[in-house]
Amino acid sequence: MIGKILKKLASLIVILIILSFLVFGLMDLAPGDPAERKLSEQGIAISREVLEAERAKMGLDKPFFVRYGEWFSGIIRGDFGDSYKDDMPVGPKLAAGLKNTLILTVSSLLAALVIAFPLSVISAFRKNGIIDHIVRVLSFIGNSLPNFLISILLMYFLCIKLNLFPIIAKGTVEGLLLPVLSLSIPMAGRFIRQMRAEILDQLKEDYVSGMQGRGVKQGFIVMNVLWNSLGHIFTIIALQIGSLMGGSVVIETIFRWPGIGKLVMDSITARDYPVILGFVIILGVIYVVINQLSDILHHVLDPRTTL
Amino acid sequence: MKKKKRAKIKIVIIAALVLLLLFCAVFAGVLAPHDPSTPNAAAIRMAPCAEYPLGTDNLGRCVLSRVLFGGRTTIAATFLLVLISFVVGTLIGIFSGYYGGLLDKFLMRLADVFLAFPQMVVAIAVAGILNGGLMGAMVALGITMWVSFARLARSHTASLKNEAYIQAAAFAGKSDLNILLVHIFPNLLTPVLTQALTQIGTTMIGLSGLSFLGLGVVPPTPEWGAMIAEARAYIQIAPWAIMGPAAAVIVTIVLFNYLGDAVMDYREV
Amino acid sequence: MAERLLDIKDLWVAYEEIEAVKGACLYVEKGEVLCIVGESGSGKSTLIRAITGSSMITVKGSILLEGEDLVPMKKRERQKLLGTKIGLIQQNPAGAFNPIRTFDKQFRETLKSHDILFDNEKLDQLFVTLGLKDTQGILKSRPYEMSGGMNQRIAIAAAMLMDPELLLCDEITSALDVTTAIAVTDELLRLKNEKGTTIILVTHNLGIAANIADKIAIMSKGEVIEFGSADQVLYDPQREYTRNLLRDVPKLIEK
Repeated sequence: MIGKILKKLASLIVILIILSFLVFGLMDLAPGDPAERKLSEQGIAISREVLEAERAKMGLDKPFFVRYGEWFSGIIRGDFGDSYKDDMPVGPKLAAGLKNTLILTVSSLLAALVIAFPLSVISAFRKNGIIDHIVRVLSFIGNSLPNFLISILLMYFLCIKLNLFPIIAKGTVEGLLLPVLSLSIPMAGRFIRQMRAEILDQLKEDYVSGMQGRGVKQGFIVMNVLWNSLGHIFTIIALQIGSLMGGSVVIETIFRWPGIGKLVMDSITARDYPVILGFVIILGVIYVVINQLSDILHHVLDPRTTL
Repeated sequence: MKKKKRAKIKIVIIAALVLLLLFCAVFAGVLAPHDPSTPNAAAIRMAPCAEYPLGTDNLGRCVLSRVLFGGRTTIAATFLLVLISFVVGTLIGIFSGYYGGLLDKFLMRLADVFLAFPQMVVAIAVAGILNGGLMGAMVALGITMWVSFARLARSHTASLKNEAYIQAAAFAGKSDLNILLVHIFPNLLTPVLTQALTQIGTTMIGLSGLSFLGLGVVPPTPEWGAMIAEARAYIQIAPWAIMGPAAAVIVTIVLFNYLGDAVMDYREV
Repeated sequence: MAERLLDIKDLWVAYEEIEAVKGACLYVEKGEVLCIVGESGSGKSTLIRAITGSSMITVKGSILLEGEDLVPMKKRERQKLLGTKIGLIQQNPAGAFNPIRTFDKQFRETLKSHDILFDNEKLDQLFVTLGLKDTQGILKSRPYEMSGGMNQRIAIAAAMLMDPELLLCDEITSALDVTTAIAVTDELLRLKNEKGTTIILVTHNLGIAANIADKIAIMSKGEVIEFGSADQVLYDPQREYTRNLLRDVPKLIEK
């Protein structure tokens, strides 16, 4: 068990090296010279010497692999490099953004689960009932809505038409409500579809009819089915974290939520590559770790699954 | 049998609607009442009327025309992206599954690595770095999209390879290419195509999301996500400039997702 | 004449508009073993489903359990009969229990559902009769760790723990290898003799039926084509179909 977990950890590191290498390489191939851009933005007249000096200062004059090595060893030490825009270290910026993003995404995840879990259970156990039909239609629509669209429609109808909320309300609980709804509605739709399918699969398992044959009470059967679905449900949740992260970039931009997504969008406009790289690495690490953890959890819940 | 028939009828109806949608996109040039990118200073932010059925936007451009042409962009880009991922992924999957060994190990490890990335996060970063408009957005999404096709094609090929009739064909001295083309490819086409169909909705959400963020289609080219992003600034004055593309996005994604579901259902009954 | 525990009269069962059982008539007396023999698709398993009350099927006719008709009963009442009155053991040995939950928990859930107290000694005795050693060890383990034969024995124990009057066994040996199958049938017979349980055993294997049956019913294409005491059916078959079946079990005819 511990050996396998260590092996997973090793594969995690390999994944991160490849991911970081890909993004770093892509950044190197991207058009435009960051040093030139930075100078022209600061209104400095660009001469050859100034540019060379700036490139040396930013470390751009070194060969690709050296730069990658320096950058990657920095990351292991928690140093994400300096911003191209203002020469400030990127790490603290990312950390501040991450905190806000976590507030947004964790509440959205919880909201989606609170909506999705009971509905998928009812829907699956009362398959083809009225509630099931309604839940299926709603979850289908939720799954088909891009979250930028939901947020704008919610804004329009709730803020402008019904005047229930201020359009931009930073920091307050009310301010969190619309972004959370925008993120959790499509996610709840996906959760319901997948969780319902998983519970229905469990219900088809032989042990359910075996228990019925012994006259086991429905309550116990429900418990057994849910317990056996739990491992898969953790996997479903872990996989959705990826689209939750992508969605939060969109939502943070729309609602001007000062998270890591808004930070990265601003940095894209400013071609501030160290921030973009840090963003991918941090979210990549979180996503990979969560998924590995869910694999381990699944194995603990159902020892038949391989780790 | 009855269920199968009902599922079939469902597919036919939705497919007809999808074709109608494609028709509108393809013949946008004929159907659109106005040029989608010509501003009209005399008709800025006009509410829907006979002349402009869905109103006009901030520059006086016809929203209906832009929605029709935008559909062309969105649908064409989505189809192209799904097609490329389908071809690349299926090829990798088939070779990986058929030849096995080290190649298989390498390719599947690679697939694992790509699967381990959060797709939209990578797409946003890559599209942002490339800054390459629609092409950049497609590359950004495509980087991770081929994986699901490759895995599916691989698992089907690997199990088909051991079927008696394929073993027999190999003993009969048929070339690998012949076996792959005649026996394996047709057999895995259905599941992989179904997978492609179900990917259309997700891809469309991804592409229009990137365009909405300004990382995809560059204005003034009409595209639904970009149109919604533009019109957001004046949503209080001219909500119709959003409602047109919004309705188009919802209808299109719902239709394609529903078609995907219907085909999956049909294959399950 | 002994009392009929289960009496099926003119039973028609349809499964999604396909008639799977057509006008079946048969009965079993208390303490007897009735074997229903037929090929797959002959309707024998559907007959069992009609007795247990599956919701997938439509049933016409009557199924009298101690004189009380099950067919018009409400679903909830029928479910109450399962376990304590009617025990059921199914084909897939791994299917009786939740594969990843310990037997202990599952035995307790089963008993709790019928308000029966967990009796360690009784279980121990059952296990011994069924050739299962180390009761506590088994209770601590999970079904997925066990072999098919073990799982099937434990499933029989779980069913018998509630002392059902009628035990339905649906192809319980067909997923097991031959020696295990014979051992399990022998143990089942021993249990029956100890407890006097009435058993209906569905099988495609006439050999097994010949070993343990008091009565035999032969089913083909949804109909009960032959029904009578084991001796009658085995030594004086009336139908060509039965004679053909018997030809596959040559030793019996020599006897």
